[in-house]
Amino acid sequence: MIKPLLSVRNLHKKFSRDIKYNLYYGLQGIFADTVGFKTNYMKLRKKEFWGLANINLDLYPGEILAVVGANGSGKTTLMRLISNIYHLDVGSITGQPSQKITPVFSLAVGMHPLFSGKENIYIKGSMYGMTKSEIDAKMDFIKEFSELEDHLDEPFGNYSSGMRARLAYAIALATDPNIFIIDEALAVGDSVFKAKCFENMKDFVRQPNKAVIFVSNHIRKVLMVATRVLVLNKGQLIYNSTDIKEALNFYILNCLDHLEEEQKQIQLKIVQEYDL
Amino acid sequence: MEPLNAINEISKNSDLQDSLYPKRKVSFLPLWRTIFKNIRDYSFFIHQLSRLAIIGDFKRSNIGITWLFIAPIFSVIMWVFFNSAGILDPGDTGIPYPAYVLLSSSIWGFFVGMYQKASNILISRRNMIITTHFPHEVLVVERALVHLIRFIIPFLINIIVLLLFGVRFNLIALIFPFTLLPLMILGIAIGLIVSLLRVVAVDIAKIFDSGIGFLMFLTPVIYAPKIDISWLSPIIKFNPLTYLIGFSRNVLTQGNFYEPVPWAICTLLSLIFLLIVVRIFFIAESKVVERFISI
Repeated sequence: MIKPLLSVRNLHKKFSRDIKYNLYYGLQGIFADTVGFKTNYMKLRKKEFWGLANINLDLYPGEILAVVGANGSGKTTLMRLISNIYHLDVGSITGQPSQKITPVFSLAVGMHPLFSGKENIYIKGSMYGMTKSEIDAKMDFIKEFSELEDHLDEPFGNYSSGMRARLAYAIALATDPNIFIIDEALAVGDSVFKAKCFENMKDFVRQPNKAVIFVSNHIRKVLMVATRVLVLNKGQLIYNSTDIKEALNFYILNCLDHLEEEQKQIQLKIVQEYDL
Repeated sequence: MEPLNAINEISKNSDLQDSLYPKRKVSFLPLWRTIFKNIRDYSFFIHQLSRLAIIGDFKRSNIGITWLFIAPIFSVIMWVFFNSAGILDPGDTGIPYPAYVLLSSSIWGFFVGMYQKASNILISRRNMIITTHFPHEVLVVERALVHLIRFIIPFLINIIVLLLFGVRFNLIALIFPFTLLPLMILGIAIGLIVSLLRVVAVDIAKIFDSGIGFLMFLTPVIYAPKIDISWLSPIIKFNPLTYLIGFSRNVLTQGNFYEPVPWAICTLLSLIFLLIVVRIFFIAESKVVERFISI
């Protein structure tokens, strides 16, 4: 039996709808943690809601797992938890020892406009935990993949959004992760580069112990690359299927859930026409 | 449609036992071992961030890092002007007043700068923190390094000015850099606490900022420690910064140790305070990160 690369169990995360309550609970949390007070995380306080509730999922080698869901459904929160950016309060995230996860949330973060493309490779690479020698060893790969060799001495601020995306994506890929998380990060970039990235994604997961989690609401792209689709709705995992088309139809219908049946069918047809 | 129980079925099949993100140990030795390991593993990141902070500011300027020299020269001119105009009556400072105030304000600036840098580490790097996992202690080290580098250049100018004012140094002055350590420790400790509050209790953080600014007037920085003002004298006496700053200043300008016993006590207390704060910081910061708003 194939072991999953990653297993998420009983994951919960709550947030506050109100800014002031959010900060107040934060202050309360600092105090409670400092003095060692035990609090019941599973109890919602005033103005709180479950950003994620009882999430269970496995990610297997070779998968390109697409995560879709309406805005605010908890996709990015889930990715931040899987990437260890958010603290894990309830639930578990287990995996194979010493495996590496590289998330790409925003391609521009960590890149500095006044510094050259090459300098930014060192900055962003080091942010991912790479040493100088590791970055040097990957320099040719980054130049080749980004196709920006002639521009690497120019200030990053002069790059077009597409060029920025190329460079940032190439650096993330150079970290050689086991699990590559791409959260809406391929919304920019020219068509040729995007196609290259999607092809690369497919090649990437053919290697042993590699998988991709692809967060996107661009359903045509999901249809092209995903091997499985998860649908999130209001913090809950409501659908999990390897039938990509059916899963996407379910997702669209779920987004239109607030409409009457007749209107829903009309809207579904429109969305399918444009996106599928 | 695959129903929810299909998802649950998957969940029962997994036999992975290794938690990818075990809870950070916060007891003394494991905590500091992890901190040092992380600093070593991310040393290249610290180098890159420090380079960014120092060079980045001056990238668009034609005269670049020359600004590091210009700012302290203006500061010298300002204090010489105040003194010659007779605006300030500082009490007996032992050395020419502009030299005294220049050095004191420079040492004070070192402490406050360290506080400001540490107190902003989470907010100023929030975009980075919210998109990439890395140990946040590297930010503290980077801030301290940048602050030290930025302190050295104006400080060397101050030394030249002190010589011009006729201040002479003896061998004891060589220990001056080490006397800055307690100020650095205290600045980082207060700053780290405020860095958490800056995310979840902005008003309290602002009170700290204003309080630190006001504290300068309660510390013998622009006046002598023996100033004779009835309400101020006890405050000066019980203010740890009186000893921490006075000790550094006297080592350099007079070649002696200002109130060594209270200084040693304040140094020890600052160190204990830092150890406590670091523990609190690493217990609380991971949870504070999710309170960042509008990112």
